[in-house]
Amino acid sequence: MSEQALGVQYATPGQEREAVTLGMWAFLATEVLFFGALIAAYFNYRMWFGGEFIAAARMTKVVLGTINTGVLLTSSACMAMAVSSYEAGSRRSPVLWLGATALLGVAFVVIKGIEYSLEYREHLVPALNFDLARHGGVAEIFFMFYFCATGFHALHLLIGIGLVTWLAIWIGTGRIDRTGSTTRLIGLYWHFVDIVWIFLFPLIYLAGRNG
Amino acid sequence: MSARTIWRCWGALMVLLALTTASAFLPLGTANLFISLGIAVTKALLVLFIFMELRASNALVRVFAAAGFFWLLIMIALTSADYTHRTDQRVPVDEVP
Repeated sequence: MSEQALGVQYATPGQEREAVTLGMWAFLATEVLFFGALIAAYFNYRMWFGGEFIAAARMTKVVLGTINTGVLLTSSACMAMAVSSYEAGSRRSPVLWLGATALLGVAFVVIKGIEYSLEYREHLVPALNFDLARHGGVAEIFFMFYFCATGFHALHLLIGIGLVTWLAIWIGTGRIDRTGSTTRLIGLYWHFVDIVWIFLFPLIYLAGRNG
Repeated sequence: MSARTIWRCWGALMVLLALTTASAFLPLGTANLFISLGIAVTKALLVLFIFMELRASNALVRVFAAAGFFWLLIMIALTSADYTHRTDQRVPVDEVP
């Protein structure tokens, strides 16, 4: 089974490419609003609760968070290399770059898992084992935000890892049509997940470090 | 998009990451938030324009890309306007029954 060469509704591959790229950006705009609602909530919590909320952010693991940001930014560079080498007509090189992208994505999820387990041990997980007497109610609200935002981000990343792995296999086995836009569309999704993290990182990990 | 452009962009992102983490530990008060958000916007623009190729995209794609962020700004501005102008007394979270 191979990918349809050109959709019946398109006259040229160029027209198809333009249309599907626009469709992907429309989807990404809805994703901006999805994560944006969480970020808007963050700003209002921060304004409403002030110092107590910012102090709770100091309990996050800044070293692991910084390493993870580096891992994700590097994965995006690998993804860009995959798209660029794929469009230059190479077959082996994009598979290797996609493999590197997926591995860095897995590394990110593993580091995130280590953070979650440390937070579990410190009794910081709302609804599971949050120690209200020790950390206070505002910290519970911060960690509610933290787990929602990073959890949804990790979910998006897991979907991305699945897509990238599938794409690498399809390109490697020659089952994909070279004129199609699948590779660049998956690339756009991956970079978007990176952008979400670019904003979550300073809000979660860097707040309150100046005191 | 050449390999050189990609890795130069990656280098710039790494430098910005180091800057934002380092600046967070300087005692600058509220300015820390604005510095880290400013660096985040710069990093996002690098990813949008180089990795996501908005640089080489047509105007319609750019408008779609900008629309999401534009509506997001409206959402943040209006909810913030509400919360900053509330006059009712805040009940401490720990005392909510």
